[in-house]
Amino acid sequence: MLLENDSFLSELTRMFQRTKNTGSVSITMKRWDGHNKPKPRTGNAPEPTEYKCLFRASARNKKISTVVSQKDVTKFQMAYATLLKGNLIGLKRGEKKDAKATKKAKAT
Amino acid sequence: MTYIKSWDEFAKAVERVYVNNPLKCRFVMKYRNVDGLLTMKITDDHVCLQYKTEHNQDVKKLEKLLGHLIRDMASKEK
Repeated sequence: MLLENDSFLSELTRMFQRTKNTGSVSITMKRWDGHNKPKPRTGNAPEPTEYKCLFRASARNKKISTVVSQKDVTKFQMAYATLLKGNLIGLKRGEKKDAKATKKAKAT
Repeated sequence: MTYIKSWDEFAKAVERVYVNNPLKCRFVMKYRNVDGLLTMKITDDHVCLQYKTEHNQDVKKLEKLLGHLIRDMASKEK
């Protein structure tokens, strides 16, 4: 399902929430030149005027996608980074804290 | 299908694969909250390189890499 950038992000958040206890989310990104049809065997395909970035995400049996154009890149990128930070929460925390904790433990 | 051990090496490889064939290459990441595992893959159907992590500190590095990648993909340059 092709979505607008904003609704893609909110749907993606929902995907992360839904897979908290089971399953996984996968996100694909790739460059897209705006053509949906295969290259014609004869003659040249029309030259792409602008490249975009295509995002696909799937979790369980739901699939969503969105296309980010150049003018929206900054906005999307920031929102996407925040989303990732907020949702990749099952990962182990950094070692720095552990090192500090062990130092403290040693000192006392 | 090899996993690269170091992040820096993977990041360089991503740039290399992308530059080599911008329209064919795709970047996939898969996150499993249950196992706390994040797997990343870059491939252009000839080369396939992967990286996996369990650590939170890699998310920051990933963000930086993704930022570059999005910008490159959605630009007018070839």
